[in-house]
Amino acid sequence: MDQNLLKRIKRRDRVARWVITAGGFSVIFCVALILVLIVRVTLPLFQASKAEVFAKLAPEALTQNGARVLAAGLDDYLENSYVLAADGSLSLFNTLTGELLGREPLAPPGAADALPVDLERSGAPLYTLLWSDGAVSVDALRFVPRFDERGQRSIVHRLERLGEFASVAGDAPQRILARPRKEDGVVLVRQFGDSRLLVTHEVVTRSLFGGESREAFEVELGETAGEVITALALDSDGSDLYAGTARGELLHWSLSDPQAPRLAERVQAFPDRRAITALALVFGDASLAVGDEQGGLSTWFRVRVAPDRAEFELRHIHTLKSHPAAVTAIVPSQRDKSLLSLNRKGTAHYDHMTSGRHLLALDALNPLAQVSLNGRNTGLIALDSRGEALVWRLDVPHAEVSLRTLFGKVWYEGYPEPAYVWQSSSGTDDFEPKMSLTPLIFGTIKGTFYAMLFAVPLALLAAIYTSSFARPRFREMVKPTVEVMAAIPSVVIGFLAALWLAPLLERNIASFFLSAAFIPSFLLLGVLLWQALRKIAPLRKVERGFEFLTLVPILLLAIYAAFALGPWFEQLVFGGDFKLWLFNETGVRYDPRNCIVIAFALGFAVIPIIFTIAEDSLSNVPGSLKAASLALGASRWQTAWRVVLPSASPGIFAGTMIGLGRAIGETMIVLMATGNTAIMDWIIFNGMRPLSANIAVEIPEAPVGGTLYRVLFLSAVLLFMMTFVLNTAAEVFRQRLRKKYGRF
Amino acid sequence: MSNLHGKSMRKFWRTGEPCVWFTGAALSLTLLIAATLVAVVLVNGLGVFWPSRVALLELTDGSRLIGEVMRFEERPEGAGERLQLKIGNRDLYGLDFRWVNADEVARKSFPEEIVVLERSEHGNFYGYLRAVAAPGLDLPADLAPLEAFGRASVAVAERQRDIDALGARLAGLNSQLERLRLQLLKLEYRGRGGEDAAVLDIKRRRTVLKDDFEQLVARQGLMLAEQRQIRAEFEEAGGRVKEIALAEVVRLYQPNAMSVPAKAWFYLGKLKELLFAEPREANTEGGLFPAIFGTVILVFLMTLVTFPMGVIAAVYLREYAKEGLLVRIVRIAVNNLAGIPSIVYGIFGLGFFVYGVGGAIDQLFFPGRLPTPTFGTGGILWASLTLALLTVPVVIVATDEALGAIPGGVREGSLALGSTKFQTLMRILLPMASPGIMTGLILAMARAAGEVAPLMITGVVKLAPALPLDGTFPYLHLDRKFMHLGFHIYDIGFQSPNVEAAKPMVFVTTLLLVLIVLAMSSVAIRLRNKMKKRYTYSTF
Repeated sequence: MDQNLLKRIKRRDRVARWVITAGGFSVIFCVALILVLIVRVTLPLFQASKAEVFAKLAPEALTQNGARVLAAGLDDYLENSYVLAADGSLSLFNTLTGELLGREPLAPPGAADALPVDLERSGAPLYTLLWSDGAVSVDALRFVPRFDERGQRSIVHRLERLGEFASVAGDAPQRILARPRKEDGVVLVRQFGDSRLLVTHEVVTRSLFGGESREAFEVELGETAGEVITALALDSDGSDLYAGTARGELLHWSLSDPQAPRLAERVQAFPDRRAITALALVFGDASLAVGDEQGGLSTWFRVRVAPDRAEFELRHIHTLKSHPAAVTAIVPSQRDKSLLSLNRKGTAHYDHMTSGRHLLALDALNPLAQVSLNGRNTGLIALDSRGEALVWRLDVPHAEVSLRTLFGKVWYEGYPEPAYVWQSSSGTDDFEPKMSLTPLIFGTIKGTFYAMLFAVPLALLAAIYTSSFARPRFREMVKPTVEVMAAIPSVVIGFLAALWLAPLLERNIASFFLSAAFIPSFLLLGVLLWQALRKIAPLRKVERGFEFLTLVPILLLAIYAAFALGPWFEQLVFGGDFKLWLFNETGVRYDPRNCIVIAFALGFAVIPIIFTIAEDSLSNVPGSLKAASLALGASRWQTAWRVVLPSASPGIFAGTMIGLGRAIGETMIVLMATGNTAIMDWIIFNGMRPLSANIAVEIPEAPVGGTLYRVLFLSAVLLFMMTFVLNTAAEVFRQRLRKKYGRF
Repeated sequence: MSNLHGKSMRKFWRTGEPCVWFTGAALSLTLLIAATLVAVVLVNGLGVFWPSRVALLELTDGSRLIGEVMRFEERPEGAGERLQLKIGNRDLYGLDFRWVNADEVARKSFPEEIVVLERSEHGNFYGYLRAVAAPGLDLPADLAPLEAFGRASVAVAERQRDIDALGARLAGLNSQLERLRLQLLKLEYRGRGGEDAAVLDIKRRRTVLKDDFEQLVARQGLMLAEQRQIRAEFEEAGGRVKEIALAEVVRLYQPNAMSVPAKAWFYLGKLKELLFAEPREANTEGGLFPAIFGTVILVFLMTLVTFPMGVIAAVYLREYAKEGLLVRIVRIAVNNLAGIPSIVYGIFGLGFFVYGVGGAIDQLFFPGRLPTPTFGTGGILWASLTLALLTVPVVIVATDEALGAIPGGVREGSLALGSTKFQTLMRILLPMASPGIMTGLILAMARAAGEVAPLMITGVVKLAPALPLDGTFPYLHLDRKFMHLGFHIYDIGFQSPNVEAAKPMVFVTTLLLVLIVLAMSSVAIRLRNKMKKRYTYSTF
């Protein structure tokens, strides 16, 4: 034979072997790839935060003639940093090169030769400056990115004076705080001596013709006599004032009425009366961060005293990682619920309030004296004890997510108690996404549970009947029919469940209860009746293997009777309206898209799967076993129940597992036929929000790479894991069965 | 006698005969539920296009209503019945449906002269045809309005053809303009300035095209205005008169005057519209052609990938791999692949295909168009690849079974005659297993046709502006978004602003999808059973 041909054939054979083997492995590769890829997307959720020193600005370069630096700050892109110095100047630097970009003097509000001596910083950023003559000015500094026609970005700064206040005769304030009011005007709080608090509202009223009139209301808060106030905090529109005392008390005033501030609350924060050394309001102004002299850092917010009372009280909610020394300053992030805190030893902590994650601990060669965050949490500028400015670049991805927020109960702002909540988006900007996967997992389990409750008995019993009792001719018809059932798209089942079954059930819920009772009892009656009828010989002949056909009219009759008697039953038992009755008796609101609908729809989707696999394994039990059992005098039921069923149990188990896996992952049915509300209870008249539907609903709106996107991938990983365990278990059992009988 | 009866009764219980009956009941219940589902779809879907009679109701307060009686039900407050009437005329009444209490109806009749208009906007119109105004057509003045309407609509249809031809030319120009825009973007990305010869050339061509485009638009506008001159006057039940341009009328018929064959003819016409026309009115009216076409292309593309992948993997499992741990792991992997929820495939498709591969393709080949994504967004290619991954286990399992059913002697015979393994595979085994492989493929296609969840996040849309396959180069646009029957059901059933009016269309779409899927899977199962019979005698 032609050697070349032979060679070619052999080569082809070898190539084919390689290709086909590679193809086989590609299946494992695909499964692994899917898992690896979706896990990789979720990993950054749990990544540790990073901080690196980005630039250092030497003290002598920062100010002229060695003037003291009062505050330093950073823009959102880390390009510009600036310094407010005690000589009354604002200097701008290129962060990376340290080059001075500009220096401008700030106008003194009072005497022309006054210099700033102290300041308070808040927000985005707003500086309240105390000048040497006792006057106060309020200045807002903004950095605005500007794009030219070629898309190049440049950052422009703007300094805006919001208010000026004359000095108060006789006394220099110790602490000053000012905020713009919600309406026009400014609120200023000054602390004199240890405890005197003076609140000044400057209210601006604009007339119709553009004229302005300014009115000042000055009120001294009387409740602080005899206390030593050690920390003050004012919220971003100046309507709530908080003070901490040396004896560990927290005082809270409502300043919404300029003429009559009101002490809303006074609580002993710490039983051991340790001094409160720092206060700040967390972004959103709902939570108060409290630092104490022992280094403790906690957050507080107002919670209803009792569920039925309209009074609120400040409660200790989250405890963050403690500092080794007294907390001296707390700087809230302007973007989320993170807090930067500084202690007396000069080290800083960066924590997230809600997740309780301790994100970073920062220290430098010299102790830090002052810290400040930029607006996007991407950078931090600190002044150390030598006056050197240090700029860190921060990489804090997904600080709001931790295992505890994903799976545990979390006490969110505005909630009366810790809870599992899924609420990923809302209309307002300072909204905090709440991403607990627990209610979603619960929803998946709830829906699956009810569906399996309906599907497993039905499918298994039907499989037993088909394999053991039905005539072969029927079996050949029933099996393909059920298999065709499996092919009905889930979107069709979901649509029918939601738009046909749900309204039907809502109208006839009483009939549904009735039919649950009628079907078994009618069956029993039917069987008894048949028992009497089968004395007639011709009937007896056709009986075997035709039972299920005989039962169809009985079932139809039962359902018809239930529907006919339903309204009467509802009248009798539920007073005419089941939904009303349910609400009055148990407080449960009937949800039209509820678990009954889900049980039917999802159950219907998994019945064919369980049925097919169970039926296969039942009919593959060797005939010899059956024959032996029957020959020993067992009845056909006894044979089926005691001999065939145990032998086929691994296959039945496998079928149930695979059905369970399908029910867990089914998306369209639950998306359409559940209410998609993430609630956690077992009540059958409520809906739920399962993992799969949640992904389908939320992923189109999730920004790529954002927290929500990654959390949704994490829920996909969970789904994958659940079905992976179930399917692997099923396959292992099936392989065992195959070994047992040598074929399958 | 009673003793005997008791004994047999006891035996009946002891042998567990009632349990047999209960298992039988489970089977009948399952089949009943399936039959109910199919019946609901059939009953609601088949009747949609049958022109139902339109009733004229005279109410006790003297007002008159025209509409189709949809259903009767008990009044929620208890006393008596009420009926739901589809009154149409959304532009006049605001609502399509109205409930009327049965005891308020004084007289109900079905006058033959009532006409139903299907319009391209605002839903159906129910009322009477009063007159036709057709300037430029010179219809005889004494012509009956219906006759005049018929002649006028023939003329309108003729003109519409001209306008459509113009529209097609406009679309061609538009796509040329778009191509020029993309070329310009590419040149700009490469840093060619405004004075570059190529850039100037493109700009010049663009000006010429734009000029043509504007002239054609102007001409089309004139024709449309002229077209809209031909109007008909209708009167609704309450006597209000409404003028409607004939161009807006899709169809006019008098259901009460139609005979059964006429109705059947009408039904066929509607079916044709369903299969070959574009959707109207936020998808709740008109045809399903883009959705059907999108589904077909999707399934076709998926098959191209899933078929070789599945067959090769199964051949490896059955013919090449040695039984052992590895094969067990592969089998477990296959089963897991089959069991992974479809939404997880969707997430994978989004993360890997759309953002991963698609993003990389955009960076490499279409950097000039960024940030507008080309492949880095959902599209038919990514959707079909995702579905291919989803359906590959079906093909693997079917092929595996088919190969397993071939008696070992066949292989041994072939090898003994000196053929290589590959030759045995290609010449003997695969041809023998082909019915089984076909079965798997058809089942996979049926699954793909019905699957929606992964598509929702990889590129299906409620209304695609263009088909993924058309006459402009490169003909098959893999980056385009597409429509899909299954998603159509979800979309119009759940996202449509007027769910009640959309219901008939949802049922029709459902019926179509169920028919396609059931037909495909029945054929597959039939094939498989036939094949089983062919080989089973020799397996054991």
